[in-house]
Amino acid sequence: MSALRASALWLAVACALALALACADRSPPRFPHVVHLSGIQCGGRGLPDCLTCNTCHRLASEKRQAFPEKKLCLGCHKPSESSDLSVSPPRNVPDPIAYTIRFEHKKHLDMPKVKGQCVPCHTGTAYSDTALFPAMERCFQCHEHQAQWDRAQCSPCHQRKEMERIMPQTFARHDGGFQRNHGLAARQQQKLCQQCHVQQQCDDCHDVSQDLSVERRRPDSIERNFVHRGDFLTRHSIEARSQPARCARCHEPSTCDSCHLERGVSGGRISGRNPHPPGWVSATGGDPSGHARVARRDILTCAGCHDQGPATNCIRCHKVGAYGGNPHPKGWKSARGERAAMCRYCHE
Amino acid sequence: MNPRRFLGGVALAVGVSTAAPAPAQSPEGGAPSSAVLVRSETHFRLYQRALLPGAYGAVVTEETAAPIVEYASVSALDVDAPWQKRSLDFELDVWGSATFGEAGSARRMDGDVQSANIRYHTGPVWLRLGRQSFAGGAARYARFDGASAGGTLPFGLGLEGYGGLRVLPRWAERPGYHQLGAAVEHLWRDPAALPDPKRQDYWLAGGRLYYDSPNVDAGVSIHEEHERAELAHRNLGLDLRADLSKRVSVGGAGVMEMDSSRIADARLFGQVTPVRELDLEAEVLHAEPSLFLSRQSVFSVFSTDAYEEAGGSFRLKLFRELNVIGNGFVELYSADDYGVRGEIGGRLSPGRTERTVLLITASRVIAPENGYRALRAAWRQRIALPLYSTLEVYNYFYDDAIRGYDTSGVYAGTLEWKFTRELSALWGSSFARTPYAASDLQTQLRLRYASGGLQ
Repeated sequence: MSALRASALWLAVACALALALACADRSPPRFPHVVHLSGIQCGGRGLPDCLTCNTCHRLASEKRQAFPEKKLCLGCHKPSESSDLSVSPPRNVPDPIAYTIRFEHKKHLDMPKVKGQCVPCHTGTAYSDTALFPAMERCFQCHEHQAQWDRAQCSPCHQRKEMERIMPQTFARHDGGFQRNHGLAARQQQKLCQQCHVQQQCDDCHDVSQDLSVERRRPDSIERNFVHRGDFLTRHSIEARSQPARCARCHEPSTCDSCHLERGVSGGRISGRNPHPPGWVSATGGDPSGHARVARRDILTCAGCHDQGPATNCIRCHKVGAYGGNPHPKGWKSARGERAAMCRYCHE
Repeated sequence: MNPRRFLGGVALAVGVSTAAPAPAQSPEGGAPSSAVLVRSETHFRLYQRALLPGAYGAVVTEETAAPIVEYASVSALDVDAPWQKRSLDFELDVWGSATFGEAGSARRMDGDVQSANIRYHTGPVWLRLGRQSFAGGAARYARFDGASAGGTLPFGLGLEGYGGLRVLPRWAERPGYHQLGAAVEHLWRDPAALPDPKRQDYWLAGGRLYYDSPNVDAGVSIHEEHERAELAHRNLGLDLRADLSKRVSVGGAGVMEMDSSRIADARLFGQVTPVRELDLEAEVLHAEPSLFLSRQSVFSVFSTDAYEEAGGSFRLKLFRELNVIGNGFVELYSADDYGVRGEIGGRLSPGRTERTVLLITASRVIAPENGYRALRAAWRQRIALPLYSTLEVYNYFYDDAIRGYDTSGVYAGTLEWKFTRELSALWGSSFARTPYAASDLQTQLRLRYASGGLQ
């Protein structure tokens, strides 16, 4: 258990260090919009003019927020407070994805329904627990877009080349059990998936013939639930026994022996180690060691080494007339006759 | 392939990537009418040294000297055809590698085309030609050279079909290794007599009829695959997903192996989101491993045993900064043989800007013959805007010792400099102590160019 303690200590130190760094995050606090828009006495005699969104954010650009110049703040705030004024966009933060949406502010503000108001869409200015950028469902409150939705046509509102940066927040949310269900979603929602993803992104993970596994190509993607993460080499036999069919969804049995051969641990190598205990296969036709029972339960593990087509050593014992007996379990059947090439290996 | 030509190819791929044309502008509204997505990744595996326990306990030193692997992808979407606007998509995805120094059993030069296809879409129909993949349903995941087509029909129905020659697994061509097994297999009398695989003997075809409505998606699919001119797989698939309300979904998918008339695997699941901060999912899985084997495998006739798996997962957003996730499953192999797997973890990201992300996960697996406990901590830090780093620690504690060791650990870190949003350089290293490597040290440099959001 000392290794466990050492490991736990190591993890605790790493976590404490990470937390300390996280707390040192000096990103500026959110600007107190509510105070400025409704918490200041204004408009009366001797009072300053009331502030509106456009007082500070002039729509100089359709996409980018126009941040006010500091001198605008100094109209009310004393210069001595100026060092506390945070009126610039947070530094060291990548551009929000919202900047990539094609949207005409002026056209919307001129609409009678909107009446030049910003807050109905940008509710985050009034409620600090919501985002400053409106969610897509806010757009859908006025724009039905049902035809485009049915056709999974996201452009031109979304730029197609930017689509992959957007994570769905409501429908098709990529959270929780999405990884387990993404195959089904990819088939059923193919049109929708293709709006953001191209086939090569499926191949990144699913093409098992490539030279580098996706874990090696993306060592920085710590939030992706890669299957072969960490010390997979050591635990691969445990994982294969835990979920016997899972490996076979992507890998053919020959993958096992191909790798074992390269590493010199295949039974096919002269120096290869026989993993089976003495008496594993009884020459008398009995099964004292239970190799048949193990084979029935987890045949893919057997196939990992012994699936050598007609050269497999299983045929030697189990072919018709040999001493190994009928290998077909109860209930086994095949629509093919014994003339099928594979059947003829035993049924000559 | 000679190394100079390979390096030329790499340079050309990078050149093409960086010189990708800007998307054309449509005359109306200034919105791009097409999108060009480009990605180039060059991996320099700078150093690898492992002390591996070899045959009979001997320690073998293994060193790898500087293999270079290049991945290049170009996609053009919604390109104008001469006869119709925004109707063509192109995809090309290739990789190549060169090994300098001792290549071992690997090829000195290697490479493959992962996908290369053109897709035409007009109204409700589409057609794709070339190397492509088809995923889901009875096909599971199939890569082939051929054609696929689909279209929507009245009443929410749709039809898709595909067919072509299988992309043969590359390991079939590794030196000393054949489609049917290793040449050194001691029962293999005459490996030289083994015929090379003929492409035309490896083909696949299939299709799917589906119903698509706002709240219900369902489909029935078929898939047939042949190898060595004989049947390898003949599958019938069913899939269903229904949104019962905004917060409740149920679904399922299953594949029946038609040759043996048995269910290869079937899965039912239900998802509930009682509040926006909580996702719950429960599922049941049935699988029969032997039906995942090709019908050309002798082993496909040795077993009809199946196993069931049941469990669930959750995601809880405790605070804006803290998410807790967990899952747990029980596998039932037979009446007296079972397995368990579970995981619980948290994601912490203080502040508004996700400058720091911390993940902690603990997991437990109990499987036949062995099991393990695992701890993982991962940490991503944006040091300054162009400079990012990650650090990961894995520790495993095995129930039964493997090769005399009951623990293993992997320690990995990266440092990435993003020159621009598209161009970055990453240096990554890892150190591992495992039952299979007394010490394994690896380091690599990755140069990456990715435009158009292609990650």
